Amino acid sequence: MTERDPMTPDPAFTTDGVSTGYGKHVVSRRLSLTIERGTRTALVGPNGSGKSTTLKTLARLIAPLRGGVYLNGGDINRLPTRQVARQMAILPQVREVPAELTVMELVEQGRFPHVGALGMLRRRDDEAIQDAIAMTRLSEFVHRPIDTLSGGERQRAWMALALSQRTEILLLDEPTTFLDVGHQLDLLELISGLNRDRGVTIVMVLHDLNHAARFSNRMIAMSDGEVVADGAPAEVLTPSLLRDCFRVEASVVTDPVTGSPMCIPHSPIFSDDEESVANG
Amino acid sequence: MIGASPNGHRPGGVSNPPVRSRRTLALLGALLLAVMFAYVMLGPVIFGPEQVFRALTDQADEVFHRISVWEVRAPRVLIAALAGAMLASSGAFLQSVLRNPLAAPATVGVTQGAVLGAVLALAISFGSEGALDGLNLFVPMAAIAGGLLAGGLVYALSYRRAGAEPVRLILTGVIVAAAVSSVTSFMVLVSGSHIDSIVRWLVGSLGNRTWDHLAFLVPVAVLILPLVVMAVPLANALQLGDATSVSLGLRTEEARAITLITAVALGAGSVSVVGGVAFLGLIAPHLARTMVGSDLRRLLPCAALVGAIILVTADLLARVFSLDWIPFWDIRTESGSRVPVGAFTALVGAPFFLYLMRERMR
Repeated sequence: MTERDPMTPDPAFTTDGVSTGYGKHVVSRRLSLTIERGTRTALVGPNGSGKSTTLKTLARLIAPLRGGVYLNGGDINRLPTRQVARQMAILPQVREVPAELTVMELVEQGRFPHVGALGMLRRRDDEAIQDAIAMTRLSEFVHRPIDTLSGGERQRAWMALALSQRTEILLLDEPTTFLDVGHQLDLLELISGLNRDRGVTIVMVLHDLNHAARFSNRMIAMSDGEVVADGAPAEVLTPSLLRDCFRVEASVVTDPVTGSPMCIPHSPIFSDDEESVANG
Repeated sequence: MIGASPNGHRPGGVSNPPVRSRRTLALLGALLLAVMFAYVMLGPVIFGPEQVFRALTDQADEVFHRISVWEVRAPRVLIAALAGAMLASSGAFLQSVLRNPLAAPATVGVTQGAVLGAVLALAISFGSEGALDGLNLFVPMAAIAGGLLAGGLVYALSYRRAGAEPVRLILTGVIVAAAVSSVTSFMVLVSGSHIDSIVRWLVGSLGNRTWDHLAFLVPVAVLILPLVVMAVPLANALQLGDATSVSLGLRTEEARAITLITAVALGAGSVSVVGGVAFLGLIAPHLARTMVGSDLRRLLPCAALVGAIILVTADLLARVFSLDWIPFWDIRTESGSRVPVGAFTALVGAPFFLYLMRERMR
């Protein structure tokens, strides 16, 4: 990790007027975001709001149509991609698990940005890998094929891959999808622990607003490709946002245990002139 | 803390795969040497180990021994081993990078392209004497060119905006393979009296292969070897998906191109000397995966050994079961009474593959 002065807030990411999309279909327009180091940011929004597309743009999985994404001041699409991979890991939503690939064989791949292709010909089993496996509590599964693991274990194996990259930034695209509530909390605790104990900057797309409010210190709500609210969870998660952005009537209360805001959705709002939901 | 999942836990999965696979590779290596030695011993005339050894060290008792062992069987078994290894390696790369268990040199048009190249070259050389001599390297060179061209065409046709997606590569490959095959079929129809040698190219044959063919194939393999070394770690990352590859710092499209070029060159090189052997490029990587898993650092050498063992064994059977052993069977083709090895791999390969699929789909 690079040395940094804790006194000056320096951004991990900045974007200037980024527009992204697929071909001619623009998903998000003129976004200017600054993500500070050591923060936990949750991107929320209804389906098709552009939150996943925005995360993919930060992750250089898609190139912006206009504007640029800057990682520690350098254009992420111009920097050598291996250098970026030493600073930033991604837990993408769409992944492939080859049959018979073991947890260890997966997690080893996290050393690719550090040792390069030829270095990966050797078997890798260094401190970063052991640490990633210990943090995700996978020690007893290291030689198990991933496709024989349960959903929660499998997601932890992918987390371990991202962790063995040893980056200062971690981007996660809906990491809790398809997990039951216990495994969701387990994973989110692991993610916030990384931020708390190691100062890893987290940017994640989350569907569950209450999880977003509880496990982030900044929420960015998007709608139709634009940021509609940005700030501390208590400022963002309000009945009016839920009405305008998510089209539900809801109350917001305070979680008696954690003190974070919690929404209770009551009913959807239907409007006759509602446009068909855009995909994105 | 979440406990171990009871489902799908196999006892074999607990032991350390790198250690286990080292043993598997050593065993397969020994098995390959054994079938290669058996190959040289067995045939219409059977030689004992001692006779084989004397023939190999140029101390044969009779000229006939020397010719059988040194001129016929030795080069042929080496070609079978190398070509089988190359075809299987090609399939292993393709299955990993295209993330498709059905991928093989024949599903991306490489086999068909190389066969067409060979068939066209044969058609051109029929006029001249010695078209089937070992010295005529025009045919294998045309085959390699055909395989590379077909592979390049599939890649170019699949390319959209930022790259060539695996699914599109496979669909395009199947279409190009079909189109190229129809040209070959046309060549077969107009080939007249030369149909026999063309069919042998189509199904894959090791008949009449000599040291000259090996002298062609070995440099081809040596040239591809650095690409193989480069492609193994790239394919390992690519098989985790494009997004993960980007996260790991790969230039995804470049990595895919390198791996595909390697696979295409291996496939075309193999076909250039033995023809379009069916199923081997598909089955050998599958078998290898059940033995050592999907990490290409172990899968690739294992698939290569399995491919070599299968092709050597299949050709040994093909030689032993020459048609004139069958009573009352008097039909002989121009180039001899031998069954081409490709007919054997398909005959044995198809049912075996069905069995494998049923096991996997359970």
